[in-house]
Parts: sequence; C-alpha cells; structure tokens
Amino acid sequence: MMMRKIQLPFTQTQKVRYERAIERLQSLSSTVNSDASVIVTDTIPVNHEDAFLKGHGTSEVDGELLATVCGVVERVDKLVYVRTLRARYKPEVGDIVVGRVIEVAQKRWRVELNFTQDGVLMLSSMNMPDGSQRRRTSVDELNMRNIFVEHDVVCAEVRSIQHDGSLQLHARSQKYGKLEKGQLLKVDPYLVKRSKHHFHYIESLGIDLIIGCNGFIWVGEHVEVRDPVMMIDDQKDAEMISSSSSTKEQSHTPLETRQNICRIGNAIRVLSNLGFTVTVEVITETLNLSNSKNIDIHNMLGSEFHVVVAENEAERRREKRKK
Amino acid sequence: MNSETVWFNYGDVILVLLLQVHKQPCHIVYTDYRPTPLQHYVFPAGGSGLYLVVDEKAKFHEDSFQKSLNALVPANDGDKKRENGKSQKGLILGKLGEESDIFKLVKMIIQRQYDPVILFSFSKKECEALAMQMSKMDLNSDDEKDSVETIFTSAIDMLSDDDKKLPQVSNILPILKRGIGVHHSGLLPILKEVIEILFQGLIKCLFATETFSIGLNMPAKTVVFTNVRKFDGDKFRWLSSGEYIQMSGRAGRRGVDKRGICILMVDEKMEPAVAKSMLKGSADSLNSAFHLSYNMLLNQLRSEDGDPENLLSNSFFQFQADRAIPDIEKQIKALQEERDSMVIEEEESLRNYYNLILQYKSLKEDIREIVFSPKYCLPFLLPNRAVCLDCPSDNGEQQSFSIEDQDAWGVIMKFNKVKSLSEEILTVDVLTRCLVSRDGAGKKKIKPVPFKERGEPVVVSVPLSQVKSLSSAIMNIPKDYLQLEARENALKKVSELLSRHPDGIPLDPEVDMKIRISSYKKTVRRLEALENLFEKHKIAKSPLIAQKLKVLHMKEELTAKIKSLEKTVRSSTALAFKDELKARKRVLRRLGYITSDNVVELKGKVACEISSAEELTLTELMFSGVFKEAKVEELVSLLSCFVWRERLPDAAKPREELDLLFIQLQDTDRRAAEVQLTLFSPTHPRRFGSITVLSDNVAGRYRRREFCAFVQTGYNGGGVCVGKRLQVLRDHGDCSCFRRELDQSDKENGGSSTTAHRSCKIHR
Repeated sequence: MMMRKIQLPFTQTQKVRYERAIERLQSLSSTVNSDASVIVTDTIPVNHEDAFLKGHGTSEVDGELLATVCGVVERVDKLVYVRTLRARYKPEVGDIVVGRVIEVAQKRWRVELNFTQDGVLMLSSMNMPDGSQRRRTSVDELNMRNIFVEHDVVCAEVRSIQHDGSLQLHARSQKYGKLEKGQLLKVDPYLVKRSKHHFHYIESLGIDLIIGCNGFIWVGEHVEVRDPVMMIDDQKDAEMISSSSSTKEQSHTPLETRQNICRIGNAIRVLSNLGFTVTVEVITETLNLSNSKNIDIHNMLGSEFHVVVAENEAERRREKRKK
Repeated sequence: MNSETVWFNYGDVILVLLLQVHKQPCHIVYTDYRPTPLQHYVFPAGGSGLYLVVDEKAKFHEDSFQKSLNALVPANDGDKKRENGKSQKGLILGKLGEESDIFKLVKMIIQRQYDPVILFSFSKKECEALAMQMSKMDLNSDDEKDSVETIFTSAIDMLSDDDKKLPQVSNILPILKRGIGVHHSGLLPILKEVIEILFQGLIKCLFATETFSIGLNMPAKTVVFTNVRKFDGDKFRWLSSGEYIQMSGRAGRRGVDKRGICILMVDEKMEPAVAKSMLKGSADSLNSAFHLSYNMLLNQLRSEDGDPENLLSNSFFQFQADRAIPDIEKQIKALQEERDSMVIEEEESLRNYYNLILQYKSLKEDIREIVFSPKYCLPFLLPNRAVCLDCPSDNGEQQSFSIEDQDAWGVIMKFNKVKSLSEEILTVDVLTRCLVSRDGAGKKKIKPVPFKERGEPVVVSVPLSQVKSLSSAIMNIPKDYLQLEARENALKKVSELLSRHPDGIPLDPEVDMKIRISSYKKTVRRLEALENLFEKHKIAKSPLIAQKLKVLHMKEELTAKIKSLEKTVRSSTALAFKDELKARKRVLRRLGYITSDNVVELKGKVACEISSAEELTLTELMFSGVFKEAKVEELVSLLSCFVWRERLPDAAKPREELDLLFIQLQDTDRRAAEVQLTLFSPTHPRRFGSITVLSDNVAGRYRRREFCAFVQTGYNGGGVCVGKRLQVLRDHGDCSCFRRELDQSDKENGGSSTTAHRSCKIHR
C-alpha cells in the first residue's frame, strides 16, 4: 500500500478524493494482519518456546528474528519467511511467464524475465512448428532463427530451477510460443497473483490476455490455438494457393482491435500505478469503467481516471468484504 | 466391438486407446507366432527323468503327464523325502548322502547340453541356497575362469576398498568362476550388472527370481521352474498362465536354438486341468493398475495445462470402464423389450392389488417379528404346544400371491439356543409331517408339508423365523416319540384339534402374551384396514388372478433389474475415481496444500517434489521443524522408516536418542492419516498411517565403516533395496538434502539458514 508510484498533477479536489479512497482501502486491509508488513531490521514476533524454521528474508540476531528485506511476513506451520514486494521475480515450477528473447545461442534461447538470471529455453523443450515429435537435428539448430529471433516476445512455462539457480523454460504446448500483434506491459511481479489460469481470452473484444507470473503482461489480438495435424494440412493448402496466386496475404489487425489493445494496456498501467493487484476481473472492470465514463484512451493515464479507479476499487473491496 | 471379440494380444486394446486419446494415425506391428518353439517338460520331485508334456506344436500329452505324476515320490512316504517337514527343504537338501533334485537336474541339463539355463525360484533366500547346492559343480574351463575373473575385478575396481570386502561381493566370485550365477533384487546393483554381462556366455547356470523375467532381454536355452506354486502375499497358489508365459518366454534364444526347453519341477500332485491352463493358457488380461496419488494430483494442479479430470478421462482405466457400456446398454434394451412384451389386462388395478399384497405381507412380517422376539415368545415355547409352521414352497423363489399361506402344523418337542458367531439363534424342534426325500448324494432332505398332504411324521429342527404362530393348545403326548406309531398318534391328536378349531386357537398376542407396545397395536390396526381393502377390491374376484399376479411379479422384477443396470451405466460413464479425486482434493485443501481455487501453495509445492514416499507425512514433518535439529545419521534412520518394505523379525530397538524423533514421526503420520480418514468416505478400503518405526541400523549406511554390518542386518536383500530407495529420496533433493546440510551448516549468512535452505531449496 505504501509503494504507489504516483507522480501526477492532482487538482486540490482530486487529491482529497484520492487520499480518502486510499484511506478507506487501508482501513479495509489493516484489520487482517496489521503487523504482517515489515521493513528491514524489524523484529518478527515468534514463539521461541516452540521450534520455528527461519526462511528467506529472516535472520536470527541476539535471539531475535529480524527481517532482512521489506515485505510481508508469511507463516506456514513453523516456517517463517518474508515475502518481498518490490523485488525481482521469484520463479516457481509451473509458472506461466512472458519474456523477451535477448539471445539466440547454441540449442537455446536466452529470455529476459525480470529474474536475477536470464531464463533458458532449450530447442529440445520447444514443440516443433509442424507438431512432429523427434530428436532435434543440426538442421533444426540452424533454423532456430525461423522460430524466435532477438526481441521476440515469447510465452513459456517454468520447467525447473537448476541447482545453480538458472531457470529452465519449456514451451511444449500450442498455446506457448511467439506472441505477435499486441503490447507487452511490465508491472511489478508482486501485483500478479498466482491463479489457476493465466491465459485469458476476452471474447467480446477478441483479445488474448496473458498475465505472466513474472509481471510481464501480454495484450494481443486473439489467435486460435490450432491442432498441429490440421496445421500441416492447412500449410499444404496454403502452399497450393500461394503457388497459384503467388501473393501471400499478410493478415491485418483491424483498427478497432488495436484500440481495444491500447485501452486494456492503459487499464493495466493505471492499476500498476495505483499498486492494485492485476487480475482479469479487475482489468475488465477498469476497462468497463473507462468505457462507461467515456474516457478516451489517451486520457486514461490522466489524474482524473486514476482517482476514479481508486475510488472504484475501494468500493469493490468494501462490497467484497460485506459478502 | 462386442464381448465375443477375443483379444489376441494387447496390441489391439492399446491401439484403440491410442486412437481415442491422441486422435492420430497409428500402426501396429506384431508377430503372432513364436520364432523358437517351446517344449515343456515335467520333472517330478524325487524322480529321475523328464516327461514331455507339451511339444513344439503346442499339443498337450495327457498320458505322459500322468506318468510323470506317478513317478512323483508320494508325499506321505515320510522317511523317504519329507523328513524335513517342508517340501522346499527336500528340494534343497535331498536325501542324506544322495544328490538333491536340483543337482541331479542341472547335471542332466549340462550332460544333454541344454545350457545355458535359468532356474527360477520365488524367493531370494531359496535362490541363494540352491546356488550353494551347486558348489561341487564346475561348468567353466580354465580360460573361461580367467575371463570371468578379469571382468569381475575390473567391474569391482570402482568400489572402495571397504566395499570390496563386503561378504556379498567376496563370496560371489568363486561360484561365478564355476559358471554359476545368482540374480535377485537383493544384490548390489554393480553385482547384478556384472552377472548380466557374464550371462552372455560365461555363466551356464543362473539362479534367478521372477524379476529376471521382466524387463531384461536375457534369453537362455532352458528355463527351469523350481516350483510351480508361489507365495502371493497371503497364500501359496499355482502360477498364473501369464506369469508362466513371461518366465518361459526366456527359453530359446532366437537364431541360436532351434527350440526352447522349459522344465517344471513338480513336487505334488496337480490336476491335469490346472497344468493345462497354466502351460497353455493365454496371457493375463491387461488391467489398469492406475491409482491416484497426492503427488500426481499436485503436479497436475500446478501447471496451467494440468487438469486431473482430463488425465483420468484419458486413462486406460477409464477406457476399460467405457468399453463395457455398450454391452450393458444392449442388455438393458433386451430386458426392456421383454418387459414391454408382457401385456396384462387391467394392469393398473392389478398393480394396485399387487402392491396391497406386498404391503400386507410386510405388515404381517412386522407383527411376526414383534411377537416372536425372544422377549415375548420364549415363555411360550413349551414342549407339547401345537405350532403352525411356514411351508417353504417347492421352487423357492416363486412367491404365492394369495393372502392365505400354506401352513404345516406340528407339536413342539423342545427349543434350543444355538450360539453362532455374532448372536444367538433360536431353533425349535418340531414334530410334524414332512416330505422326506433323498437327493443324489444320499443326503436326506426333510421339508415340512401341509398337514393334509402325505408325509412321514418326523421331528425337525426349524429356526424360529419359520414358526408362524403358536397355538394356545397344549397336547398330551407321551414323551417317547422314537416309535413311528407314537409320532403318528401325536399328529393325529393335532389333526383332531384342528378339525375342532380350524384356526388352531392361536395365542392372542395382547391377552395371552401381554404384548403392549404401541407399534404392535398400530401395525395390527393397519393390517385390519388392509384386509378390508382386499374385500372391496374388485379385481380380487376376477378369475385367473393368481397367474396374472405371477406375470406382474415377473414384470416388476425385470423393471428392478433394468434399474440396477442403468445405475451401473451411469456410474461408469461418470469419471472413474471421481469420488476419490474429490476426496483427495479436500484433503489437500484441509491441510493447506492448495487453496480453494486449486492454486498450489508452498506446502503443495514441496509435496510436488517428493515422489518416492509418503509425500504428505514428509511435508508435514518438514514444516513442523523435525528435521531442523537432527543430525545426518538420525535423519537417515528416520527416513528409512519411509522406504523400508520388508518385515524384520528381530528388529533392534531404536537407540534412545532417536526416540523423540520417532515419536514426532508417528504423531505427524497419525495426524495426516486422521485428516485423510475423516475426509474419505468411511467405506474406503485404504489404510492410512501404516508407517512403523524400525531399527536405526540404516544410519550406518552413511558411516562407511558400518555399511558392511548394515547390509547384514536385514537379510541380504532388504538392506540394499532400502539403500537404493534412500538414494532416490536423497538425490531428489527431496527431504533434507543431507549433503547440502553438511556443506553449508557453517555458511549461514544473509538470512538464509540451513533449515530454511533445506526446505526453500525445494520451493525456490
């Protein structure tokens, strides 16, 4: 709550409204665990009689357990650790991440993920473009640039974390892979909550939304996930067509879709600025709010909309608590 | 696909499954004959020769099988063979001063040049004992001996000096040199590997357990079954044809031998049918052994694609369940047609009447139950009282559909209490007219018949439930009823009574027996009302009522059958394991492994990594801080409890300093088990919390010096198996990361302590 990065020119009324909304939010959240958030060298209260396990972000000094990072104290049975807020992404196996390819190396791509190291996506842990399953040959290695090149945005799953701390990715499904025709947004990783689904398809707008656990969010035009076998057939058809007409049609993203992408992108930016958790529900709500208030896309980042969203969020949480 | 289809091999089933799940083209390549034909012989225990039982053309020779059984030394011929009590010992020891059967057999095989040979036995112990029997035999030339030694020493070189002195290692070389080998799961992996290498020509005679028949491609010319019965956990049983096929399949090297030879050592009589089904039966049907585990469930839940339901619906188990459905549906259809073909006039009113009768009967039964509860009726079960019995009708199932039942009258002689396992059963000895018939086996069948019919007067013992009513009349009958005439006379008196009072003057339950509970009165009133209804019912007077009722009854039965079949269809279309899946998810939620939205939490992530043993208990242990203080040795011995599978008869008591740890372990285990028990349906057969505390000898595994002693504590196999599983547990980084603790216990800094490190390493 303390780390909102707002540097907006508020008018006097906006400032008052904003502060009131934040106050209400804080009053709602503080009742649950007020002593949970700590800063460095804060003492974490533990029961010393009972054996406890000190975890990440803690250290025992003179018989007291101190926090070594800023964050929220978490307790699981006897394990006590501090979950950091404004820090780099901390991967877990099975996370969906969005990243940017920064290097094509031998048999692997290096992917920037806002982690302390670059993620590694091996050629062998990629589905072949034609869907066939076989050993990767040296020819495949030479053709790696046909799959991803530098600066491509890709989506993958965390496969494992090596003992040396390096991160292995895999993209063994049709829905992983290169992302095109859209926007990549970066928010703080702590704003993304792990949930069952990170891929979302907003049907009314024809837009795909991938909320990567590493805080990279992809907003792009919807792409049908297609069966590999079907794709081969399609390719054959396409080849026949192209040989006859010899003009390959470049698919075009309609203007409306582009506007929708920008609108969602700005909604996420606003939420990120305000330090609100980014979930698909909140995003669509913010989107609808902007539509109902007739706010232009470029005005969404203005101070007025920020205040509106903050008020709306305070209201939403209040309703939720009532239930 | 219908039920008549015989699956010649598993290929077809797998093919259909693959097509269904992957929706991709699939080809199947198979041979439906054996390239090297097999000959099956029997070697009777104590006998001296082989008898060909099944030849290359798969023909079963009944006569020679009989001959072989005749050659069997009779089991009751005590001093000849079974003086050692157990048949197995006879096999091993043989008669004093004479060679054992196995020795004779191996000698014969070598003489006839049927080597190499694999001898299967069903226990590790027996396997080794048999190999020791061969100590006098030498099957290798000097050249071969040298090459055995070279291979062996070069393989063993990679072991440390301490390990080379292990008895298992040092004892095996001499027998290997003579061309004899042993192979079972209790051997050190390196020894097993060496023996597998040597079997390519330098071992002529290998004693193995069943494991050798699965997964290794190690054919020999001859396969010997030292026994045809195996212990399957609770009893000795004949080998199944599937097991037989699997093991005999090792006989006959393709391209080397013209035919394979398969010898059964039989030490007791077996029916030719049993032998036939074993030797010529088909492979075991392929059944899914799929089961859910928490680990599997968590791993599915944590990945975005993962969907446990999807996994289950694509499982072979589900596939098998689905395949049965068309059959059942066909059955249902047939039954429905049959039901609809029955046409009855005035069905509605008839059904009404039918239901009335059923009600009437159940009410009567209720009353009877009250009257004949021991509390009320015992004082009246006096000798010489006239009673009315229910006559079981001839063809048991057919119910009579009139309100009048057939009664048999008789006289009580005495009543007995028979104590059965759970409760007392009351029986009454009644003198009555009975139909005595003898069935084929010469067993007397006695059945009371109605009084007017013909029959002999006999005393029968009937359960109290068969007594219909008691009469208030007490006859005056002489005590001596052994004579037929006396019995006739007694019955005559009963008939006289009946002719005077056709209803037999029944005891009035309320007045005589003093039954005053309200439920009785209520039932009687309802019964009276029902009787009135019968009077009024118009259909009661219609002719042929009995037949019509019978038809209706059959119809009702068909309907019930259809209903139950439909239920099975419904339950198999629903996901197999669905309930278990739900229950397991509930357990995980309760223990805080997943959230209510099925998102895997920290504890769940830890449990995800533990695949080798009790994931829930281990995770709970970890988070309750049990591993924090423990030393490496203690940890090892604690964890050994999870991997120990063998019973150790004389398990040493754990050392005292371990007591606390073990108590913690048991507590945690019990807690995890309790949660599971409450959330699973009570009928669920699985047992929870079965971890037992074992000795701490495993701790020695990591103190090299003691390894030798450790291996000897459990009988040769167990220790090695446990060691291996521990390795897996450890290599996985699963539980406590021993090495890491050792390395880093000093390097505590920056707020990541060892313990946290241990657990966090996993979830990081």
